[in-house]
Amino acid sequence: MAEKKTLRQEFTKGIIKENPVLRLVLGTCPTLATTTSMESAIGMGISAAIVLICSNIVISALRKVIPQKVRIPCYIVVIAAFVTIVQMLVKAFVPTLDEQLGVYLPLIVVNCIILGRAEAFAGKNSIIASAVDGVGMGIGFTVALIVMSAIREFFGAGSLLGHSLLPESIPPMTIFILAPGGFFVFGLVMACANKLAEMGGGKKAKLGGCEACPMADSCTRLQNGEACETPAVEETATDVVNEVKEAAE
Amino acid sequence: MKNSTVKEIIIPAISLFLICLVATALLGFTNQITAPKIEQLAIETENNAKKEVLSDAADFSDKMTATLDETEYSYYEGLDGDKNVIGYVFTTSAKGYGGDIKVMVGVDKSGSVTGVSILEISETAGLGMNAKNESFLKQFLSKSGEISVIKNGTPADNEISALTGATITSKAMAKAVNTALALYEQVGGESNG
Amino acid sequence: MKVFFAILLTAILTNNYILSKFLGICPFLGVSKKLNTAVGMSAAVIFVMLLASAATYPLNTFLENHGLGYLQTIVFILVIAALVQLVEIVLRKYIPSLYNSLGIYLPLITTNCAVLGVTILNIDNGYTFAQAMTNSFGAGLGFMVAMVMFAGVRSKLESCDIPKFLEGLPITLVAASLTSLSFLGFAGMVENMFGV
Repeated sequence: MAEKKTLRQEFTKGIIKENPVLRLVLGTCPTLATTTSMESAIGMGISAAIVLICSNIVISALRKVIPQKVRIPCYIVVIAAFVTIVQMLVKAFVPTLDEQLGVYLPLIVVNCIILGRAEAFAGKNSIIASAVDGVGMGIGFTVALIVMSAIREFFGAGSLLGHSLLPESIPPMTIFILAPGGFFVFGLVMACANKLAEMGGGKKAKLGGCEACPMADSCTRLQNGEACETPAVEETATDVVNEVKEAAE
Repeated sequence: MKNSTVKEIIIPAISLFLICLVATALLGFTNQITAPKIEQLAIETENNAKKEVLSDAADFSDKMTATLDETEYSYYEGLDGDKNVIGYVFTTSAKGYGGDIKVMVGVDKSGSVTGVSILEISETAGLGMNAKNESFLKQFLSKSGEISVIKNGTPADNEISALTGATITSKAMAKAVNTALALYEQVGGESNG
Repeated sequence: MKVFFAILLTAILTNNYILSKFLGICPFLGVSKKLNTAVGMSAAVIFVMLLASAATYPLNTFLENHGLGYLQTIVFILVIAALVQLVEIVLRKYIPSLYNSLGIYLPLITTNCAVLGVTILNIDNGYTFAQAMTNSFGAGLGFMVAMVMFAGVRSKLESCDIPKFLEGLPITLVAASLTSLSFLGFAGMVENMFGV
C-alpha cells in the first residue's frame, strides 16, 4: 500500500477493482442478511459507509497517537462509537429503517470491511487519503448491496424499492428473499464479477484462508495478493495474539 | 525496567482509556439529543396506532393495566365526545417465527375487533412480513370470541386464512388478537356491570 | 422445561444462526474446508458464546438500570474482545492441550458477528438469564451443525466437475444455498412439537 497513488485511484479502487464485497469477500453477513429489499440494502450501505468514512478519518488522525500495541482495541472503540451514533440517529430519524435492519445495525461494529480498512489503510495513510478510501469503499459496498437486493427483490417479491412491477398473475419466487436465495444470488453475482474481472485481466476472488479471518492483519495480506493458505492464518493469528496479549495489562 | 513498564503498559493503557472516555462522552452527548426524539416518536406511533384501530373514539383514557394468566397487559379505554366508553385498545404480543410480534388491537363495546395494528415485528421478509399487509389484517375486523387459523378453503365466521408460507406468523397474530379479546371479556365485563 | 427445549431447537434448526440469520458467514465460508478445523472452530465458538452471554447479560441489566442502554454495543464488543484475550491467556498457561486445539481459533472469534449477535439478540428477545444461556448454547451448536454439514458438502464438491465460471467461491455459495434450503424444511417443526 506504500506506493503513491492518486486520490482518484484510491477512490475508484474501492468501487471496482477492490470492491469489498465482490472482490475482497468482506462483510458477507450484512450482504446476505439485508439484501431482502432494496430499501434495507440502501439503508445498510449508507449506514456502513458513514461509519467507515468517519472511523477512517478519526483513526487516520489518531494514527500517531494510538500505541501500536493497543491499536486494535482502539480501532474497535472508535468504530463502535460511530456505530452507536449512527444507530441512535437512525432510531430517531428513520425508525422504519431501524425496524428493517434490526440486529444488523449494531452488528456493523464487526463488519470486517471497517476494521479491515482501519488496519490496512487508515492506520497508515493521511487523513485525506483515508477519507477518500472510505468513501470509495463505502460506495463499493453500497453498490454491491444494491445489485444483490435488486435481483432478490425483483425475483422474490416482484417489486423494486417497494413498487410492484410484475402483474398479479405472475407470482414472485419468494425463495429469492429467503436465506437460500441470498446465498444463491451472492454466488451468481460473484461469478459474474469474476468473469468481468477476468476479462479485465484481474484475478478471481479467491477463497483462501484469509477471507475467513476477520483479523485485519490478514486483510492486509489479502490485499497484497499474497497467497495465503491456512497456516498463514494461524501465523497471523498468533502474531496478533502476542501483540494484544502484551497490550492487555 | 521501570521505563519499559511505562512504555509497555501505562502509555497504551492510558491512551486506550482516553479514547474510551472520549467515545463515551460523545455517545452521551448524541444520546441527549436523540433520546427525547426517540421517545416522542414511540409515543406518536402508539397514538397513531390507537386512533387507527379504534377510529370511532374521540379520546383515550390514560394507560391502564389488566392481568390475564399472570401476565400484565396495558390497555386504553376509547372514549366518545361525552366521555362514554365506546371500546378498548389492548397491546398484546405473541411469539412469531423471528421473535415477539407486538400488536395493538381495538375492540368495541360489543366485543368485536375494530382494528389491528402491528407495533413490532421481525418475521421473515417476503413471508411473515406480509402480516403487515392490509389484506391480511382486515380479516380480523368484526371478529369476536376465539379466532382460529385455517390453511386452505374459505374461512368461516371466526376463522382467518393463513398467509402463504407463514402459518406460524398467522397463528401468532391470531393468538395476540385472541389475547386481546380475552382481555376484553375481563375488563369489558367489569365496566358493563 | 418445554420453553428451554423450544429455544434450543429453534436456535439449532429453524433459526440457525448461519443458515437463516446469516451471522458468522466469514468462518462458515473460510474454515469449513476441512472437517477437523470446522469442529475446532465451532467448539471455540460455543465456548466463547456461552462465556460472552454469561458476561454481557448481567452487564446489560446494570447498564439499563443506570440509563446507559445506549452504551450496549460498545460495551459488549469490548467485553467480548477482552474475554477472548483472557480465555486465551488462561488456556495457554493452564490447559495447553486445549489451547493447542482451540487457541488458534480464538482471535478469529472476537470479530465474529455470531458472538456479538447472540449477545444482542438475547437482550432483544427479552430472555431470562437461563433462557439466554440456552439460546447461546443452541446458537453455538447450530453453528457447529452447519459447519460440519457444510464441511461434508465441500469435500464432495472438490471431486466434482464444476462449470468454469462457477469455480471457487461462487460454487461454494451455491452449495451453501442448497444446505440452507434443507434447513428450511425444519420450519414450523419446533412450534408443532412444543406448541409454543
